[in-house]
Amino acid sequence: MIPFFIFVILFFAVPALIGYLFRNIDESTRSLPFYWVSGQVLLWAVFQLLCVPFILLAQPFSKVVLYFNLLTAILLAISLIYLLYRSCHHLRRTAKHPNIVSLSSPKRKSASLLWGLFFLLLIFQLVMAIFYAYEEGDDAFYVAISTIAVDADSMYIKLPYTGGTTGLSARHGLAPFPIWIAYLARMSGIPAVTTAQIAAPLVLITMAYAIYYLIGKILLADRTHMIPFFMILTEIIVIFGGYSVYSAENFLLVRTAQGKAVIANIILPFIILLLLITLNKIHNSVKPGITLWFLLALTAVAGCLCSTLGTILTCMLFGIVGLCTAFSYRKWWILFPLTACCILPLGYALLYFMME
Amino acid sequence: MTEVFQKYMGSGLMLIWFALALIYLFFQEKRKPLRILFLYTPIIIFLLFFNPLFYRLFQATVGTEIYFRICWLMPITIVIAYTIVHICDSILNAKKQSISSASPVFTSVKKIFFTVTAVLILFISGTPVYTNPLYTPAENAYHVPQFVVDICDAIEIEGREVMAAFPDEFLLYVRQYSPTVCMPYGREAYTGSYNRLNHLVMSDEINVDLLSSLSKAALCHYVILAEGKTFLGDMNDYGYELFDTLHGYEIYKDTTMNFDTH
Repeated sequence: MIPFFIFVILFFAVPALIGYLFRNIDESTRSLPFYWVSGQVLLWAVFQLLCVPFILLAQPFSKVVLYFNLLTAILLAISLIYLLYRSCHHLRRTAKHPNIVSLSSPKRKSASLLWGLFFLLLIFQLVMAIFYAYEEGDDAFYVAISTIAVDADSMYIKLPYTGGTTGLSARHGLAPFPIWIAYLARMSGIPAVTTAQIAAPLVLITMAYAIYYLIGKILLADRTHMIPFFMILTEIIVIFGGYSVYSAENFLLVRTAQGKAVIANIILPFIILLLLITLNKIHNSVKPGITLWFLLALTAVAGCLCSTLGTILTCMLFGIVGLCTAFSYRKWWILFPLTACCILPLGYALLYFMME
Repeated sequence: MTEVFQKYMGSGLMLIWFALALIYLFFQEKRKPLRILFLYTPIIIFLLFFNPLFYRLFQATVGTEIYFRICWLMPITIVIAYTIVHICDSILNAKKQSISSASPVFTSVKKIFFTVTAVLILFISGTPVYTNPLYTPAENAYHVPQFVVDICDAIEIEGREVMAAFPDEFLLYVRQYSPTVCMPYGREAYTGSYNRLNHLVMSDEINVDLLSSLSKAALCHYVILAEGKTFLGDMNDYGYELFDTLHGYEIYKDTTMNFDTH
């Protein structure tokens, strides 16, 4: 039970608290799911920035764990101080204006029923993730990397398929998502293989739907009673995503804890969410704040953690949406912050080609 | 690239609904941010995907094996789900507008009919991920076959690594489960890269002399063979002893190898 609690703290409580730092991005994002996802994205970006140099310098895995814990603690402390400050501020405001918090609208019975159905389908997917195993060839590579990191305290210097020693596999080391799985395993005490096959998928599947929920909340802001229906539809499309082994939906349920599944189902949808917020702000002639650009840049870096192709995919999305926005609104300045968001991913891409 | 796209499409129906959803949004969605993200962006990505120059550039830099991942940039799930909700809501609004007229019951029926049809179409267009034959009930908390777990546990030696030659059905799982059990060949042995020892372990007739020389050369402490093999020679003569028999596999220990722990 203790490993389970540590895992929940690491994957739910810590990111949700850290994500509170992004509360000022937009009114629509002031919710626990947004804090949770953005906090996790921040942690992934920090992990990527920290881990890659350690891999290239062939440093032991335990050093990454130590320094990442230190950085997480610092972020947590900053977030807690900010949370405390906001709480005091909020208390003062509610004391002065007791009616400031409006009562939520009465829930519709049909919406509650649909939410019930949504959660039932979600539980079904989570239960399947626990009790059903999928024979996935690439796991022999990625999960073995995590297992080796935990056991041998080394990163990318052993051949995952056989266990033989090799030179540093820096190309794979540029997207060290399996090392993050190893980090969770080391910290929680759950075996790396169980972390990759069961524990992480449970959280990552939930996180993917949390992002769909946040997108739905913005798309259906004026008809919130339709959000549960939107969510059920996303679930149906995901569950029936077996029409191709290459579809993002198939990756979500089959290869959940592989970096490529995370980029397809968490990073890219989260970038779409952030771009949606950005475009809504531009549409309403409100300047997107620095925090929003910062979170976009962090998400791009988190994409690099998941897959080396993440560098290209995130930059392509920024480029296409940036150009469309610039043309549509005649606001060319948007290209500058979006280009800035691409600097680090492009740096990783350059490093990749140098090593190739 | 057409071939890649066909592979990505699978049955193709889901992408047809995606295309229809884009057409619907083109006419019905007036909000500019949504048009940019869910209409213009997917269309540009689609055009880019089929652009031979872009394809060649991608091929030259990354290779074409993962070209399908460009399709992940198209928010298929969001667009289809949002379009269905949008149409449903339009029907609902039509109901409200015509509340004074004689058709509210008709519009309610229309809405239910549309919703049910849309969901059914999604059911038919897709394939449940869980019907894939590669899905099997998990045998343990590792999602690794129990025979792999038990045999790895049996041959592991605390404080050191051991080398073992396994049949193909073990190759995906051994290194996921045990970091201390090494193998002379891995997954690549049955995905195209020929390995002589692997070939011998998988054959019905075992030439013991050849097996011994290959496994000793690979520094194998153990050789795991499926039961019922025909041996051409005696394993004992080459320093092997039957260590254990588990789940229909015979575990042979090479007594001439070093088992010391340091």
